[in-house]
Amino acid sequence: MARVGVFTCFCGANIADFVDVPRVVEETRKIREVRCSIEYKYMCSDPGQQMIRDAIVQQRLTSVVVAACSPRMHEKTFRKALSDAGMNPYLLEVANIREHSSWVHQKDKKAATDKAIDLIRMAVAKSIANEQLYEISVPVTKRALVIGGGIAGIQAALDIADARIPVTLVEKSPSIGGRMAQLDETFPTLDCSQCILTPKMVDVASHPYIELIPYSEVIELDGFVGNYKAKIRKKASYVNFANCTGCGACWQKCPVKVPNEYNMNIDKRKAIYTPFPQAVPNKPVIDAAHCTMLLKGKCGICAKVCEKGAIDFKMQDEIIEREIGAVVVATGYDLWDPKPYEEYGVGRYKDIITSLEFERMVSANGPTGGVPQRPSDGKVPKTVVFIKCIGSRDEAKGIEYCSKICCMYTAKHAILLHHKVHDSHAYIFYMDIRAAGKGYEEFVKKAQVDTAATYLRGRVSKIYKKGDKLMVRGEDAQIGQLVEVEADLVVLATAIIAPKDNPNLARLLGISYDKYGYLSEAHPKLRPVETAKAGIFLAGCTQAPKDIPDTVAQASACAAKVCGLFSGDTMKKDPMVSKVNTEFCSGCQNCVTVCPYGAIVTEEIPMGHGSKEMRVVSKVNEGVCQGCGSCVAICRSMAINLSGFTDPQIINEIVAI
Amino acid sequence: MLTLGLEEKNTFLEAINKKSGANVLECYQCGKCASTCPVSDFMEFRPRVIMQMIKLGMKEEVCMTDSIWFCLTCSACSGRCPREIDIPAVMEAIRHLTIEENYHPKSKKVKDIRKFHEIFLDMIKRYGRNYELRMMAEFNIRTRNLFKDMHLAPKALLKGKIPLGHESTKSAKAIRKMYEMAEKLEKSK
Repeated sequence: MARVGVFTCFCGANIADFVDVPRVVEETRKIREVRCSIEYKYMCSDPGQQMIRDAIVQQRLTSVVVAACSPRMHEKTFRKALSDAGMNPYLLEVANIREHSSWVHQKDKKAATDKAIDLIRMAVAKSIANEQLYEISVPVTKRALVIGGGIAGIQAALDIADARIPVTLVEKSPSIGGRMAQLDETFPTLDCSQCILTPKMVDVASHPYIELIPYSEVIELDGFVGNYKAKIRKKASYVNFANCTGCGACWQKCPVKVPNEYNMNIDKRKAIYTPFPQAVPNKPVIDAAHCTMLLKGKCGICAKVCEKGAIDFKMQDEIIEREIGAVVVATGYDLWDPKPYEEYGVGRYKDIITSLEFERMVSANGPTGGVPQRPSDGKVPKTVVFIKCIGSRDEAKGIEYCSKICCMYTAKHAILLHHKVHDSHAYIFYMDIRAAGKGYEEFVKKAQVDTAATYLRGRVSKIYKKGDKLMVRGEDAQIGQLVEVEADLVVLATAIIAPKDNPNLARLLGISYDKYGYLSEAHPKLRPVETAKAGIFLAGCTQAPKDIPDTVAQASACAAKVCGLFSGDTMKKDPMVSKVNTEFCSGCQNCVTVCPYGAIVTEEIPMGHGSKEMRVVSKVNEGVCQGCGSCVAICRSMAINLSGFTDPQIINEIVAI
Repeated sequence: MLTLGLEEKNTFLEAINKKSGANVLECYQCGKCASTCPVSDFMEFRPRVIMQMIKLGMKEEVCMTDSIWFCLTCSACSGRCPREIDIPAVMEAIRHLTIEENYHPKSKKVKDIRKFHEIFLDMIKRYGRNYELRMMAEFNIRTRNLFKDMHLAPKALLKGKIPLGHESTKSAKAIRKMYEMAEKLEKSK
């Protein structure tokens, strides 16, 4: 005979105001299996838990029902109370009479009370069929995979590796560094981006716990938390890195010129190239799309000049497999293409450039040697108009959200312009100045006061050409008048967008992404680093637009999560997973198709005892199963049951009402 | 339409900053000055707008507007300005500039206000302090409004608010000397 204890919580006034708790206690006491029914103001408090513990011992309870808030809140607390009293914690059932009754039926106390009683009746009936369950232990492979070698990936890799956990860092381009390597100086301190980034890049290359795989992509990820298997395709670089000394003779002699992505296509690079002088690894790769030797079989000059014979035109893509326990995704961001802004003459007027193009121009290692130039005639611009929110906060042409960093980098650009061209003047069209961050507001003030940049509040309506100048027309809402600026150069602060490949990557990793293509965190406030899939974490702009300090902080948070995951040799997991009764399984494999986590595999078992004939049945990988129950619903032969939610439990619940 | 980017330097802004000792660039257009100002309701351009216009180098518009003459120099604006800009000093600097550079706003109100300033200064120069009765009389004559505020005169006289004769001060001479020196300085410029 089952002996159930019911513990009803007032939750202060949350439940008691709308549910008649004494009546609930009275009614539930009448249930045949209920040995004791107790009420208390705060069941989750220590005295409340003590009541449960005492009742378990005194009444020799076989299961416990707590009628209180959502199990999401305090299920763990009460399970702990059960195990403290020597009872299997999974013999607990929580009847959610707060969210499901008192909060949603505030206008009708009687109905709320009746519903609460029904909910408890169901929970009691279910708990009678509860079985003792035990936490699952899953072994852990202590190696992390970091996807993306920008500042986020670099920071995450370094922090994890410093904890003596091996890291595989995969970067799609020939060098790590990412967007930050393209920046000149960084707000709000104006320290040189390269100077603070390159030491970290060198650390990555020399760290004994980091395996850097540049010029490669993750193409497959199988498995589950602590036990992933990743396939990485290392693209053919046609240069044998082991022999290459990075002397540069090859790219100096290469005759093929290609637009230079690192410099936003302002100048040209060669078909064999290192992206920038401080590249890590500092070894060139051959751009197969442009190399005439690879395309037409003619040239081969690089191979001739290479003293070490490092050039290998026959090199093939290589597939590398790694067993890993956790993944940090740090794929960064792309820039929005301002082409839809036809009224600005984007594409028609050469002297309209994007902010990252301007950034490259003012960089000392940039295509113009650190001095901004008009693309049309190479003259140094005196009057420069910066237009913010290009694509950002523009539902019609761009995206709805604020890209977060444009206000700050535009202020920086105004300051840098003043540093590089002393007699220049910056005009900034803006909608709001969003300078939330340490030292940010002060930085904007610096641009406004010290640099005397003129801030004009309004969106630009059109740009037209007048002689060799660009006339930028907008409204200054502050004086309520139309203004026109006669500009030499116009810089568009284009929005940050999610990398184009993010949706594909998300599908490959089995994580979700939002309508913009940003990878989704598990909870927007309380779990901003984790994804919904255990063991996969997000760092940097791949999750949402961010500045460098936030990106670095999130990357370090990822590292802390990974280290936490790897702190033991095994991981504990709730036992609410599916189980296949092989006797009933017909091997139809519907469950395999329907499982969203890829947790169900097939195995062959003998037809009968001692039989040599084999048949196929399903098998659940407990480590991967998240207990969603899809397989249970699809199974035609009712061969699958979800522990903690078995058929007898559910039927009991239904019968109880 | 206001066209910007034509001049290499914003000389108007520089002149106002130099004259007032304030830095108009510090203004971030919050509008607290405008909502604090007791007379901003009568202004064509409220103090916040004036500040932005200076930043944009709109000299003609700023020097010709009535608004700068309505400013009472009460300092309520600067007292509440989060960036602690001395806005009354800025207004004063603009007024000085308009006089120096012969800007003459057309409205009668401004003409009267300017006359009032002139008469007041003249009183100080003559007597070393204000001589209310003469000042009122002169103001009414020069603005051609003889009976302006006349109905207040009996009451004010009875209460002794308007002394009939003028009281001279010991330092009247010194004050006159100051005037002469200032005028000399002004001429030598």
